[in-house]
Amino acid sequence: MDWTALRLSALLGLCTLAILLPVAVWLGRSLALRRFPGRAVVEAAVALPLVLPPTVIGFYLLVAFGGRSPLGQGWQAVFGHGLAFSFEGLLLASVLVNLPFAVQPVQNAFAAVPKELREAGAVSGMSPWSVLLRVELPLAWPGIATAAVLSFAHTLGEFGVVLMVGGSIPGETRTVAIAIYDRVQAFDEGAAAAMSAVLLGVSMVALGLTSILSRRVGRRTVDA
Amino acid sequence: MPDGSAVATTAKPGLTVRLRAAGPIPLDLDLACAPGEVLALVGPSGAGKSTALRCLAGLHRPETGRVICNDAVWLDTGTGVDLPPHRRAVGMVFQDYALFPHMTALGNVAAAMGHLPRGRRHDRARELLTLVRLSGLEERRPAEMSGGQQQRVAVARALARDPAVLLLDEPFSAVDRATRRQLQEELAALRRVLSIPVLLVTHDLEEAAALGDRICVLHHGRGLQTAPAAELLARPVSAEVARLLDLRNIFRGKVERHDPTSGVTLLRWGERTVRAEHAPAFAPGETVDWLVAGAAVIPHPQDLSTACKGENSVVGQVSALVGLGGAMRVTLKITSPEGGTLSFDMPLHAARTAGLVVDKKFAVALLRDGIHLMRQIPTS
Amino acid sequence: MDVSIWAIAMKNFVGRRTFLGASTAIFAASDRSACAAEPPVVAAAADLQFALEEVGRLFQAQTGQALRLSFGSSGNITRQIEQGSPAELFLSADEAFVFRLADAGLTRDRGELYAVGRIALLAPPGSPLRTEGGMDAIREALDAGRITRFAIANPEHAPYGRAADQALRSAGLWDRLQPSLVLGENVAQAAQFALAGGSQGGIVAYSLVLAPALRDRGAYALLPDGLHAPLRQRMVLTHRATPEAERFYAYVQQSAAREVMRRYGFVLPGE
Repeated sequence: MDWTALRLSALLGLCTLAILLPVAVWLGRSLALRRFPGRAVVEAAVALPLVLPPTVIGFYLLVAFGGRSPLGQGWQAVFGHGLAFSFEGLLLASVLVNLPFAVQPVQNAFAAVPKELREAGAVSGMSPWSVLLRVELPLAWPGIATAAVLSFAHTLGEFGVVLMVGGSIPGETRTVAIAIYDRVQAFDEGAAAAMSAVLLGVSMVALGLTSILSRRVGRRTVDA
Repeated sequence: MPDGSAVATTAKPGLTVRLRAAGPIPLDLDLACAPGEVLALVGPSGAGKSTALRCLAGLHRPETGRVICNDAVWLDTGTGVDLPPHRRAVGMVFQDYALFPHMTALGNVAAAMGHLPRGRRHDRARELLTLVRLSGLEERRPAEMSGGQQQRVAVARALARDPAVLLLDEPFSAVDRATRRQLQEELAALRRVLSIPVLLVTHDLEEAAALGDRICVLHHGRGLQTAPAAELLARPVSAEVARLLDLRNIFRGKVERHDPTSGVTLLRWGERTVRAEHAPAFAPGETVDWLVAGAAVIPHPQDLSTACKGENSVVGQVSALVGLGGAMRVTLKITSPEGGTLSFDMPLHAARTAGLVVDKKFAVALLRDGIHLMRQIPTS
Repeated sequence: MDVSIWAIAMKNFVGRRTFLGASTAIFAASDRSACAAEPPVVAAAADLQFALEEVGRLFQAQTGQALRLSFGSSGNITRQIEQGSPAELFLSADEAFVFRLADAGLTRDRGELYAVGRIALLAPPGSPLRTEGGMDAIREALDAGRITRFAIANPEHAPYGRAADQALRSAGLWDRLQPSLVLGENVAQAAQFALAGGSQGGIVAYSLVLAPALRDRGAYALLPDGLHAPLRQRMVLTHRATPEAERFYAYVQQSAAREVMRRYGFVLPGE
């Protein structure tokens, strides 16, 4: 069992959530509640990683991270090292790839909060922030938790993109999924089996949680 | 109230409203509501009643308009003032109450007490729940309460922020009849202790008449007439208002001449002349709409042949008879060429004595003082 | 999510570096100079999968210095270094890749030859391939129509794949075998494919078949080195190389490491 890889995957998952959840709450809520020009385009762009092959995403990220792109150059100038084959690059990739897994449950959850409740909050003297914290989030949290669970599990399992932009560096970019691949090539089926079992377990727990949470979302709206 | 920023130049206690919008929801409305007064907005669905209320709360923005409450300007499109809802001191009861489903009754009320220190909120919320007769149900969630109880929580929550205006959007439409009557009585009692303007949106004219000091009739976003219920029913400004108030016996005629000495204005109605109360505001030759109140249509004392010679006698054929409690609603098809129908109520026994049956010829007189002339307003 | 949960999670998972120590600045702590204590990244050709792990263990036992080993095809590693991989030392299976990086100015110098590789025929138990026959065994099995799957590394970017390609062409078997070929992403994967069910065998690095991990998994035979261009394996330090990477670079050229490499079937420079 490659504990370094497991720790790294868990860290990657948590860091992904730390960045992704606020973004997903903002983006999902905007998509659910606002009508703005280009909304359909944003929605499609968010869903893109669902249908795009991971290698295509990996390719574009490599180009974007590379020394010839403004992002790669800027990063290099500020931090002194490139984005490709680094944990930060992996994190950025992970956030992008997980956007649909996080945004869509959040969007559905906010769309299920009746408009009148937000208005009732406002005419009860609550500021927009207060309405978000005291009315919308308590009602939408099952969706946000679903987003977190799905994104975390998916981060643990993401392989293609990580293989392309990660480079299998122990403790830096060798995630569990990559470690399993490496262990199989090293004829170490025992470790591969153990880590696969861990991922299988995490995925099953994630699915179980998701289904429990989705039933909660339904119940909340019926109450409302 | 701490809410509200700029100070109005023409400070007037209560609420002053002016709303204009071409679309998508047209608005053309001026309102004033004094502290302690209940102003009812009535009109058919889609008349813009709720939109007007939402403009006051800051949930909808009209193209142009002003909303001034006491000395605070909430909206003035001319100077760019537009306070968000949470900075307008409104209390609002939504049609479906919009209670926070994840909070208890107490939590719902306390949630609107951001202006009070934390420690005071629960005590004050308890007081308000007692005021709306819900003590003992503080810990219930909305899903565990009846419609009437939910409505009371909504009223308590609307009062929780010590609003300068109370807005009620069809507050009784989601409960059964018995509950509605009880809630209406409670509101009538409650308003006596409130010293703020109360705006009540309803499509129910009876409810508006029972609860409102004045009624504003809305249609297509336009405020057509604002007056106490009795005046509104007796003297609607136009045929449009009269029809919206479900008044009948509306006809069209032409002012023939005035006779100030006998206090009469003569109206040409088809081939006959109707004598109305003197109405010098209308010029001779002007085409007008006129109506006669049902109570001013009285069965003619004489027989048919002599009846034709009395003042404002009309002969017709009974086309429908509907018994309503102790009265009979009579619909009379007027036999003369100008046509039309007259509708009026008769006591049951009188109808029986007169031997009223469908198709029977019958004469009535229109009392002069029950005839009301209305200027023609081009319908929008 | 509750802030305290995050704090606990961070405490448990951070440690590698000060990464995310401050909740506000995710990237503030990612300055490389601040993490000099981290083991150097050594990127190595997949034929070194077992040999270099053993050398690395010896190195760590003697010096206390850990390494971060990353294996792949030499071509892929070269591409990654071109795109900014943090590798400090690159052990290629083919010196051409090292020269390519050197010409691009991405390395300190043109590196050092550390081994010459050999290829071997590998067959799983029960395979119709009688490995002791070498290339003739492949021909016989082909004649008998008993080869449906045969693994080599991808000749496009894996040097051992190219060597296998050359050997098959030298023996005149390429055209006949080509429809049956399965290509591993690197030579270690090729070895795994060769032994996987459904495959009759493959041509892989000799260093892999000698590894303890493959013992009893199949039969093998060393193939003559005249069948392919020599696999001149060269290593080089990149500009990122730290003193720790330099020490390992030197260590690989010393006797203890050479002894291990020899045991894995490599021909060593100067011998």
